[in-house]
Amino acid sequence: MAKLSTLAEAVASISCEAHVALSGFAITRCTMAFAREVIRQGIRGLMVSQCVGAMDADMLAGAGAVERIVYGGGSLDRFGRLNCVNRGIEEGTLVAEEYSSLSMAFRYLAGSLGLPFIPIRSLRGSDVLRRLQEVASSEIGHVDDPFTGDDWLVLKPLVPDVAVVQVQAADEDGNAWILGPRWDNEEQVKASKRAIVITERLVPTEAIRRAPERTVIPGFRVSHVVHLPFAAHPTSVYRAYDYDADHIRQYANASKTPEGFLKYLDEYVYGVKNHWDYLELVGGMKHLTDLTADPILGY
Amino acid sequence: MAAGLEYTPFELMAVAGARELKDGEIVAVGLGLPVIASFLAKRTHAPSLTMLFELGVVDPEPIHTGVGLADPRVWYRAKILSSFVDMLGTVLHKGLVDVGFLGGLETDAYGNLNTTLLGDPKGKFRHFVGSGGANDIASCACRTIIIIRHEARKLNEAVSFVTSPGYLRGDGDREAAGLRGGPSRVITDKAIFDFDPESKRMRLVSIHPGATLEDVLANLAFQPIVPGDPPATEPPTAEQIRLIREEIDPEGMYAG
Repeated sequence: MAKLSTLAEAVASISCEAHVALSGFAITRCTMAFAREVIRQGIRGLMVSQCVGAMDADMLAGAGAVERIVYGGGSLDRFGRLNCVNRGIEEGTLVAEEYSSLSMAFRYLAGSLGLPFIPIRSLRGSDVLRRLQEVASSEIGHVDDPFTGDDWLVLKPLVPDVAVVQVQAADEDGNAWILGPRWDNEEQVKASKRAIVITERLVPTEAIRRAPERTVIPGFRVSHVVHLPFAAHPTSVYRAYDYDADHIRQYANASKTPEGFLKYLDEYVYGVKNHWDYLELVGGMKHLTDLTADPILGY
Repeated sequence: MAAGLEYTPFELMAVAGARELKDGEIVAVGLGLPVIASFLAKRTHAPSLTMLFELGVVDPEPIHTGVGLADPRVWYRAKILSSFVDMLGTVLHKGLVDVGFLGGLETDAYGNLNTTLLGDPKGKFRHFVGSGGANDIASCACRTIIIIRHEARKLNEAVSFVTSPGYLRGDGDREAAGLRGGPSRVITDKAIFDFDPESKRMRLVSIHPGATLEDVLANLAFQPIVPGDPPATEPPTAEQIRLIREEIDPEGMYAG
């Protein structure tokens, strides 16, 4: 089956209430074009997970597409808080299972290895754990180490229905490179039932074969490949383009109120037909060229 | 020699942080002061210090200001770019991180840290960043150093939400929860504290030049242990200040 798809086709493969793992980290490699299309298609009731909450999850939460967020806390770095996620938590409209970075990574790791549970030293004694026992008691437990008798906190694996990953390069089969730190992305993809790869560059399989040690995402786990330049805008993609600081600032400011956020959506999500229209709206070729990464610095 | 040497509270705190780091140690850092403290230690007494950032970055040498760990500016010239499982798993969880730097909205008399929410967790509250890797570092590092502004609203008897455990409610509570390590120092812009070995309550170690005991206590919302007549914090040397200003942070990019 041909995997190369339009963004609209890939998004249409996601059902309401699916568990979707997203590749963003704060303001880097966020699945922004994906989030905008999910909102345009009116998909709702999602469970969204990622190690560190990022701009993609925040926009989806603000648009009412998310019922439950499973994450390790997050922000827009110095640009601000995850206003939509935080507002949802404060007002009780969003169920938040809040872990730590490592406990999320371990849950994906356990999912990727097909383990029944994973022991962890983190969370003990904290209110993070106390709160999880209230909102996610089925996800945590205790076991005795059969060798030493020690008591261990254990976490259930995460097995997302689909991982959506923003990468720098992939071939038509979905074999993909992630340049720079991968944070939780490799375990996310390998824990998930399938993956959607959104790639800045589509490369021939020969390029993959000539540097196979770079393949982080194996094609056989991928259902859809979407070739879409600047798909993470306004967030950054290492060695491709920098974040758009002014645009993120505009978002951070607009999302402080529900009205401001809806106005932002009207302009940048509902107000455009597709990603290409969006790129024109945010500044077009000139602006995007200015954001293009320096090859030595990577940003 | 140091007489008349001018320095900011930030520089004094960075120098105090550097002093806590030993050569050959592995340190988990966030942005800002911990990075300066680590670079300063590396350029003086601890050249073989290893710095790691939770998302998978080891020993970077940034030349531009980053907005956070997710900013590729912070990863420049790193020796390793990997993952959470690699950094927080195979290094931190395995017990190889000697020191972790932590900050937060507030800390308390037993070194617990809150980065999650302010207000009533069961009622009206404001939600902030949450844990990220902070809970993991507080739980798994051999020791942690807390960096926090010296204000009564940030230094309370008990935090309203324990995101990252210190000694919990003191005296054996941390061990009972199954945790090792714990906070070893608290560095504020007025003083340095450690923790009483028995009660695990915060204890005054030294007062920064220019601050007074009254000043230190008036801006705390709890009573720390004050042993006798606490000495003055050792001030930075001219060479330390020169390194920070001319070599480590010439653009003042971390100082903000």
